[in-house]
Amino acid sequence: MLKAAIDTEVFKEAVEVVAAIVSECRLNISANGLAVRAVDTANVAMISLELGAPAFNTFAAGDSQIGLDISKLKNIVASINKADVLTLDLPDGAYKMELAYGGFKYSISLLDVNTVRKDPNLPSIQLPGKVVIAGAELNNAIKAASLVSDKIAFGINPDNETFYMEADGDTDHINLEIKAADLKTFIPAEARSLFSLDYLKDMGRVMSKAEEVEIFLGKDHPVKFVFTIAGGEGKVEYLLAPRIESD
Amino acid sequence: MGVSLREILTDYKKPASPADLAKTCAVDGNNALYQFVTTIRQPDGTPLMDNQGRITSHLSGLFFRVTNFLESGMRPIFIFDGKPPEMKQVTIEARRELRDEAAASYKEAIAAGDLEAASKYARSASRLDAETFSSSQKLLTLMGIPWFVAPSEGEAQAAVMAQKGDVAFSISQDYDSLLFGTPRLVRNMTVSRKRKVHGRTISVNPEIITLSELLSGLKITRENLIEMGILIGTDFNDGIKGIGPKKALKIVRDGAFDKTIKENCPNLDCEEIMKFFLNPPYSSDYRLNWKDPDTEGILSYLCEDYEFSRTRIEAILEKLNKGKGQKTLDQWFG
Repeated sequence: MLKAAIDTEVFKEAVEVVAAIVSECRLNISANGLAVRAVDTANVAMISLELGAPAFNTFAAGDSQIGLDISKLKNIVASINKADVLTLDLPDGAYKMELAYGGFKYSISLLDVNTVRKDPNLPSIQLPGKVVIAGAELNNAIKAASLVSDKIAFGINPDNETFYMEADGDTDHINLEIKAADLKTFIPAEARSLFSLDYLKDMGRVMSKAEEVEIFLGKDHPVKFVFTIAGGEGKVEYLLAPRIESD
Repeated sequence: MGVSLREILTDYKKPASPADLAKTCAVDGNNALYQFVTTIRQPDGTPLMDNQGRITSHLSGLFFRVTNFLESGMRPIFIFDGKPPEMKQVTIEARRELRDEAAASYKEAIAAGDLEAASKYARSASRLDAETFSSSQKLLTLMGIPWFVAPSEGEAQAAVMAQKGDVAFSISQDYDSLLFGTPRLVRNMTVSRKRKVHGRTISVNPEIITLSELLSGLKITRENLIEMGILIGTDFNDGIKGIGPKKALKIVRDGAFDKTIKENCPNLDCEEIMKFFLNPPYSSDYRLNWKDPDTEGILSYLCEDYEFSRTRIEAILEKLNKGKGQKTLDQWFG
């Protein structure tokens, strides 16, 4: 069971955060709020989202798990006026969720949970390096890199205390270095990994709104991005597998 | 063509999720090629051909299916039939006759201008020749996909590979794979998610049958399942008239297999068939090594030799190369 009201802006952001990685997912509902943990079909990226009950204007729910077509939901919420308040209504055992706003009532068919990929376990990864930068800055670097290549390297140079992002194209090269002193947090460690911009572009667009993004890095390891939404009541974690650095 | 077990399998077919599929697998190569040459045709039943009249249906099917597999994170090895067992001769003869008849009917239908009938007969007259195999195997090699010719039946080799854990599952439309003991059989791996059944086109989705679930659900052993096959008919024996899956299930559950065989086909050597399904000829000589596709080689083979549209093939190869070098999170999930 779920009965809740939420600001459209907040809900929209939560949906976009998930839609950047998967087109469908299992939504875990509990009295504490909503939670999603899902991996994309290619097993390259993972999203975990915890949207706490305080992110909602009103929230009442019992434990359940439903299957959601996130791409469809994203299209629906895109059309909603930002100022509207959205109500969500899901009776026990229902096959549809009702979404109401400003006079509209959407009845969204749920997916059979069994046909949606199971939530993955939490992976065990040691990522020794950490930096914190503004989401907008991260997104700008990703956008700039996309102009010259389809991949970007994130790394930390502990010797000269810098965090760097660099992309090598066939003909062009782009490099952004940020000194530890200009970063909100800097935990040095030998770290460098290469990532696909195809994935990062979608993530970057979502992260650009976050004031701070924590970036956890290792050597040829996945990168983890952690940031909050919904005024701190929603916690998002992205995990992205690296590419093999060769050529 | 395999054994007709469909009726009793319905409850054990589960939709195969992308995560189920993104693994290593052994593909029944003959089964796949046969699907391509029967289905990839023009409306009047003429297969796709190049300028010289060489058939290209199988190459088109193979290229698009394999790229689709790779994009879904699957790592396939194709297994082709080797020497058929002696006891399959009758089936092979019967199939040849059917094909010859269909070929004759096709000519008549074309002469009469009946396109629908022509298309039907053309499909039934499809055959795989040495050229079909050699050109398919060359394409697989160019695509970096391992393939292997089994000592005998391809689906048997695939089933044993899955049993040994070298691959996660086998792919075939034939239920024989279950008799050969594949722990997981995946069906309906078409790119279009459509299949032609008895002249109609239906939508299909990949489905997975887990042998252990099937056996425990039906409360039978694998030997019982093979016995059921023998009663219904396999590639190696005719089966008993009037016995379908449900009746066969009842007979083996009642322990009446031997009696039924003795009464209906006393001369049938069930032992030999049972032995063949339980311990088919198998070779461990295959290599599971996937290589990067040879982009230039594929373009030259498909687009220059066989006149495929370069833009179409290039677009797909580009997509394929994009995913190259991308690791997955698997190794960190432990």
